[in-house]
Amino acid sequence: MESPAMRDQVVSAMNKRWKYAAGAGTTLALASVFAFAQGLDFSGHTGLPAGVDISGSWYPQPFQDSGLITASGALAEYGGIPLNEAGRLYALAWNPSRIQGRQHQCMGYVPPYTYNQPGNLRFWEERDPYTQRLIAIKHYWQIAEGTRTIWMDDRPHPPEYAQHTWAGFSTGRYEGNELTVYTTHLKRGWIRANGIPQSDEATVVEHFIRHGDRITYLSVVSDPVYLAEPFSRTYTLGRSIKEPDAWQYACDDGEQILGRTEDEVESYFWGRHPFVREFADKNKIPLLGTLGGPVTMYAELLDKTHDDQAAEAAALAELKPSAGPLQASRAPDPTPHDGDIHVLPVQGSVFMLAGDGGNIAVQVGDQGPMIVNSGAGAIPDKIVAAIKKLSDKPIQFIVNTGFQPDFTGGNVKLRAAGFDPSVQGSFFSGQFVDAGKGATIIGHQNVENHLMALKTPSDGWPSDTFLQARRRKFHNGEAVEIFHMPNAVTDADSIVHFRRDDVFVTGDIFNLVTYPHIDLKNGGGVQGELDALNFILDRTVYKHDEEDGTMIVPGHGRLCDEWELAEYRDMLVIIRDRIQDLIRSGASLDQVQAARVTADYDTRYGELTGSWTTPMFVEAVYSSLKNPPKQTGTK
Amino acid sequence: MIRRLSAAALLAALTVYAQGGRGPAPPRTAKAAALYDLTGYWVAVVTEDWRYRMVTPLKGDFGGVALNPAGRKIAEVWDPAKDEQSGEQCRSYGAAALMNNPGRLHITWQDDETLKIEADNGEQTRLLHFASAQSGAGEWQGSSRAMWEIVPAGRGEKPVGSLKVVTTQMRPGYLRKNGVPYSANAVLTEYLDRVNEPDGNAYLVVTSTVEDRDYLAQPFQSASHFRKQPDGAGWKVRPCVTRW
Repeated sequence: MESPAMRDQVVSAMNKRWKYAAGAGTTLALASVFAFAQGLDFSGHTGLPAGVDISGSWYPQPFQDSGLITASGALAEYGGIPLNEAGRLYALAWNPSRIQGRQHQCMGYVPPYTYNQPGNLRFWEERDPYTQRLIAIKHYWQIAEGTRTIWMDDRPHPPEYAQHTWAGFSTGRYEGNELTVYTTHLKRGWIRANGIPQSDEATVVEHFIRHGDRITYLSVVSDPVYLAEPFSRTYTLGRSIKEPDAWQYACDDGEQILGRTEDEVESYFWGRHPFVREFADKNKIPLLGTLGGPVTMYAELLDKTHDDQAAEAAALAELKPSAGPLQASRAPDPTPHDGDIHVLPVQGSVFMLAGDGGNIAVQVGDQGPMIVNSGAGAIPDKIVAAIKKLSDKPIQFIVNTGFQPDFTGGNVKLRAAGFDPSVQGSFFSGQFVDAGKGATIIGHQNVENHLMALKTPSDGWPSDTFLQARRRKFHNGEAVEIFHMPNAVTDADSIVHFRRDDVFVTGDIFNLVTYPHIDLKNGGGVQGELDALNFILDRTVYKHDEEDGTMIVPGHGRLCDEWELAEYRDMLVIIRDRIQDLIRSGASLDQVQAARVTADYDTRYGELTGSWTTPMFVEAVYSSLKNPPKQTGTK
Repeated sequence: MIRRLSAAALLAALTVYAQGGRGPAPPRTAKAAALYDLTGYWVAVVTEDWRYRMVTPLKGDFGGVALNPAGRKIAEVWDPAKDEQSGEQCRSYGAAALMNNPGRLHITWQDDETLKIEADNGEQTRLLHFASAQSGAGEWQGSSRAMWEIVPAGRGEKPVGSLKVVTTQMRPGYLRKNGVPYSANAVLTEYLDRVNEPDGNAYLVVTSTVEDRDYLAQPFQSASHFRKQPDGAGWKVRPCVTRW
């Protein structure tokens, strides 16, 4: 088990990622825009502690919400939470058996849920040793052994494509007897661990108000994905006069349900939740009140529940998706669209480049850079320029994880800007006139087949193709594995694993911005996509409580780790199971579409317009379940 | 020696300031000395202790309240019908419970030394006296003494702190709707803080402690909060009831 000091190192490494991102080229200005666009302008504050010091050991006081601490709260006990439809449906689908899944057992805590835990809390200051100016307030909590840094030095928040963590990125300032903290970059966590989600788009403003040996804590969560309005809540902490000497809470996931396969994710079908009335009946509360929503926070609820029949009818309507309309994602694509390329250190010698279509990974070392994917081809010169800042050697290898234009659009120019010395002067030199004249493009044979069919320029086709499940190379001092994932989003997908640096690059198999683009016409299928996601999850290792360790560069979206991938897998399994259930009952595609089987995820992944909409995704899953694609390869 | 004297002088100055004492000339009235503006309409946001505040808890559900045997004995025989018959419908609207109830508040300065809090739910009025505790003895809202508790601020900075209110002499009532009692000897200490949000919202945060040697084994601590409203829309007078 890691010590708090080690945890600090994790945070420190994470901040390096963010700091680098914020400092790269024009990104600094962008980062500032992000910070202020969130609506909290901390500019001009010196960080001088004009307020009351909260350093020391504290504990959550047991008087308020005493039955709702860690991993508690009854099923369908949502009263007082301003859930929107998606949030309520997410919670209603949540089956507690899910926490026995491997990736869920050691899930971390996000603020403000952090303060719902029953363990000890500690705050301390970090000051500049020479000026004694306050740099940060550090915070450790026993349950989940979380560490948090609240920056007090006016630094900007990182860009949107940076990693999210359980603690998020926090900046603070003192206001009298109050410490005000603003947090972004949170992972998807809990508002309450009975299935009430807090999304990865949530931002949190917290006020720590000290009155002697007591802190009153007011948090305000704004979550466009799962909440209809900000969720404000108070809680109280008491000061530990004596050092509690109880700071650890070890967690290591294990095999809790033997035989459960990776793509079994327990969930309740809407309208068939076996315990939905349990809390309401036990406490003699109208079901409508227990289902949450803004109305349950105010006195007006007292009026709505006087008419038993009307309240019951309203409650029953809330147990399933409404008739519509479909909802679009409220999570903006974090990819910058400012005409520039933004560089983010990932881990070791691997970097992520964002700004031209799909994400690009760059591995550098003594040899020429190996890059994974080449972007959309809109600004390839800027990609080349960005890579030159990371390595003084020409690009040697370009790996394509698929044939989609977002990942291969820059092939021609990036290839031309590179050089592969391994084929110069070899037998290949005599057979191919262009051998060694550019970088070598590596890809599954199906990538080349598709690019040829699309009649893209031949200079951008892979010249080093493979047919089997695994292609391997040792480059820049580390083993690199390329795995073909048959019938995932297409029949040409691969994932790349940099083994020493422990970074996966997924291409379109993992698209954190939208539902997986399962391309049936080109050999994609829902089961192959799930197999691919689980293939990655079978190889990832978190560093602490589902955070860090193996890093993942998704095809689109921010840098992440296994938690986000597991969430994505869960989403796909749950939607697949709902559609499969409807197919078994004889439902047509139109009936499946009308059932809004994605209603709990649409505010995070849904699209109403463009080339890949929610109905297209539902149709793809439906069709691939009805007519599974033929296997095109082996794993 | 000089350094020691300086440190001693600084300490003394801080001590005097912390006691609310003799720094700059004090403002003449509590209203003029207000650290922040609490006036206006506020709506209770019932997100914490929801099942004890927004709905009537079951008889015998005392979660989070450390009742002593005497208090438990009373709570276990809670009879709302009996309260109605005896005209005691307002037992859960006394000062020790009022700020936990759903509803709206209207806060105004009754005069320069008295802050008035009106609650639509239960039609109750609290008077917070800064000059001296007056009136209210033996009533639901008791007798409240208020003060601005100032935190030492930096030189030239605006003073900051909290509104502290101590209420005594309350008519015996219920901490919760289901008959969790407090006695005439209970002492309610509250801090009323205003916090401003970046989105323009403002919250009134009420931090309260009820000490009651008659019915509580240890103080009952809680917090509740209200969001500022632009006007009185939503104000709805509701009479006291024994059950929601």
